[in-house]
Amino acid sequence: MLTGFGVVSPIATGADAFWPALAAGTRGVRTISHIDATELPSRVAGEVPGFSAKAMMTETKYRKELKSMARTVELGVIGSQLAMASAGLAKGTVPPHRIGIEFAALMGATDLNDMAAAAKLASADGEHTDSRIWGAKGLPEITPLWMLKFLPNMPACHATILYDMQGPSNTQIPGDSSGLVALAEASRILRRGLADVMLVGGSEARINPVTLSRHNLFVQLTKHNDDPAGAIRPFDATRDGTAPGEGTAAFTLETLEHAQARGATILGEVAGWAAGVDRGCKGPGLARVIRNALAHAKVSAADIDHVNAHGTGTTIGDAFEARGIAEVFGRETPVFAPLSRFGNLGAASGLMELACSVFALKHGELPPTLNHSEPDPACPVAVHVGASRPVQKPFALKVSYTPLGQCAVAVVRKWE
Amino acid sequence: MRRVVITGMGVVTPLGHSPAELFAASVKGESAVGPITHFDASTFPTTFASQVSHFDLAKWIDRADRFRNCGVNTHYALAAAKQALGEAGLLDANVGDRSRMGVYLGSGEGKEDFDILTSSTAAATAEGSREANIGKAVGLLFRRLNGPQEAEQEMYAPSGYLANEFALDGPFASCQTACAASSQAIGEALEMIRDGEADVMLAGGSHSMITPLGISGFNRLTALSQRNDSPKTASRPFDLTRDGFVIGEGAGLLVLEELESAKARGANIIAELTGYGTTADAYRMTDPHPEGRGAIRCMADALADAGLQPADIGYINAHGTSTQANDSAETAGIKAVFGAHAYKLPISSSKSMLGHLIAAAGAVELVITVLALRKGVIPPTINYQTPDPDCDLDYVPNRAREVRFKHALSNSFGFGGQNISLVVSEFAG
Repeated sequence: MLTGFGVVSPIATGADAFWPALAAGTRGVRTISHIDATELPSRVAGEVPGFSAKAMMTETKYRKELKSMARTVELGVIGSQLAMASAGLAKGTVPPHRIGIEFAALMGATDLNDMAAAAKLASADGEHTDSRIWGAKGLPEITPLWMLKFLPNMPACHATILYDMQGPSNTQIPGDSSGLVALAEASRILRRGLADVMLVGGSEARINPVTLSRHNLFVQLTKHNDDPAGAIRPFDATRDGTAPGEGTAAFTLETLEHAQARGATILGEVAGWAAGVDRGCKGPGLARVIRNALAHAKVSAADIDHVNAHGTGTTIGDAFEARGIAEVFGRETPVFAPLSRFGNLGAASGLMELACSVFALKHGELPPTLNHSEPDPACPVAVHVGASRPVQKPFALKVSYTPLGQCAVAVVRKWE
Repeated sequence: MRRVVITGMGVVTPLGHSPAELFAASVKGESAVGPITHFDASTFPTTFASQVSHFDLAKWIDRADRFRNCGVNTHYALAAAKQALGEAGLLDANVGDRSRMGVYLGSGEGKEDFDILTSSTAAATAEGSREANIGKAVGLLFRRLNGPQEAEQEMYAPSGYLANEFALDGPFASCQTACAASSQAIGEALEMIRDGEADVMLAGGSHSMITPLGISGFNRLTALSQRNDSPKTASRPFDLTRDGFVIGEGAGLLVLEELESAKARGANIIAELTGYGTTADAYRMTDPHPEGRGAIRCMADALADAGLQPADIGYINAHGTSTQANDSAETAGIKAVFGAHAYKLPISSSKSMLGHLIAAAGAVELVITVLALRKGVIPPTINYQTPDPDCDLDYVPNRAREVRFKHALSNSFGFGGQNISLVVSEFAG
């Protein structure tokens, strides 16, 4: 059972603000302001305005640890805190060995200012760096805990310390599929009785010098710099790429018995999941994974209210995803792609996007896909656009994938 | 419950590029540690490491040039997978239902372009300043970095390439829990097979951090041994004079297979994977809990999962990193779980010879553990000279020992507090 939810996103912070922002069609993709990106071809992203981990961290004694957290780790820790608070689970309310964590994260990018002084010493001409000078004179300029700021498993590490979680702790890294892989593993751990509660979250902060320059080189990023809010166009014939985002989404996942025994509010249920690889991103492999997830949830395609697509707005990615979805659902089932509202959150994307469907089911209303107006024959799916539509069936299916065809799918159910 | 057996193993390590080579060198007590040659580390606080040498991907993979932009983490993983799937008889994509075969890889970051990253930062930083002109740095990075090479450093790549190259179309996962990652991958892959989500999982890890920023990071944490005048004796787990771990690199992968599936296709069964424990310390970022709080329950859970009593275990392949904190906490944990039996139990650390392969460590050490079980020979803990009163168990010092046993336990504990224990058993039908 999904109980608590924590979120920091380009459209809203906090579970209470998230659904109103979704329902209102709030757009979180803007011209990049965190850093000077004028030299990059793509200059729009889903930024979280005014995020301050220090201001948000309720465990004041732990604020001193923020110096060893990169923004992606800060986001993850705050997402975890918000989820635990939303679930009403204070530290100590669950026996330590009965609560664990599954987090989706990637290696954070180094803060250039952490290495500026060292680099200046070791690269006299600004063209090459002499590792001998770096080792002798540069290294002492690097803060001792530098490496820990960026390690993927640090959001989980800090959360385990903050909430005394001594059950299983794992960190998933297969890119955009990480969140749903983490959700599946946490569900498996609960089913085999190893814990009563698992925190499942994801976080990523992509709007930094290193990640942005790298992604501008190998990810198809939109050139619609003059229209940030309309830049990501899922499954649309005029789509020209995606945009990065940042944020965190985290759920507390509990066994039904545990949730009911403590009178927890249930947001939704994880009904099933599957993962598998579509070699070459052709489509039939994704369709197979979708069918496996339906079978795992013991439902059929006809039971699904809507498909929640990754819908990144890339030419190849959307066509691949649409082929896979269409092979199972044809044009019957509405496809909802929330990513155009907040950008591609990478390791946080799966759970952030999933949350949109959890709340849509809960509130009985499916918001539209934004920025889709011109259907593309290469994407033969029924994209849900226009006004919100009443939810008609109790299940939604969520798709995530990586460029190497690693597809993860989850099925969630409205809790009644 | 569905039983899971090991039907193939593969490694790329500083002590050999096959399980047989690795085990032979381990039994002889060889050290692979020497001066770092991957880059000029001569002025770093630590100048040595345990490096993979004479590795040529083209010996393992057709058209290896396809992977020229990938990091060595992907290269090592591909070679280890080729061995493991070859031994299991699963290289042919027409064998079996590939949608029931998956990948679970513990792995780390790809290679950062140190030269471009730091020189671009320097060019954007004014003399005497500690802050770069970010706009300028971004422009330089964008113009200088190699796009195709950067694309291959994404963290989904190593596990993704294993699936694509070897037609493993089933469930996948990839975890990064520091030094526990590959053991955790093996443990969770075991659970995926038990739960019926897959019949075969290629599981293990691959990693290299022998890079300027990798060594810089660990050196600043003062985690590495700095015994620069004697690299081969620097990794000395459980010895009183230990002063940090020695970093290594490599890959280890095992083919885990559901027992009936293995029997039905007449696969050679190497051993059975019988137990898995997974806990968190919830204590500190880098230090283990001093009394081994998480490690104790992890080992106990793994024993219970395997349906064994402490006295059934005949050998422990320790995490044994050669840091002050780990080796004493691990020893305390073993005593708490095994009681009087702890003193009769041979325990050794492969890291004394191999160094610490970080995300690949646990998988490679499990391969050694399985071969020790099969051959009845326990590789030693080398460089053990000065007993530590806090570490008073039988660490199989300096010489291999012939002992027959039926069950062994392998520990992996990681920065961030993740604890993993695995139990392997002689396959008894």
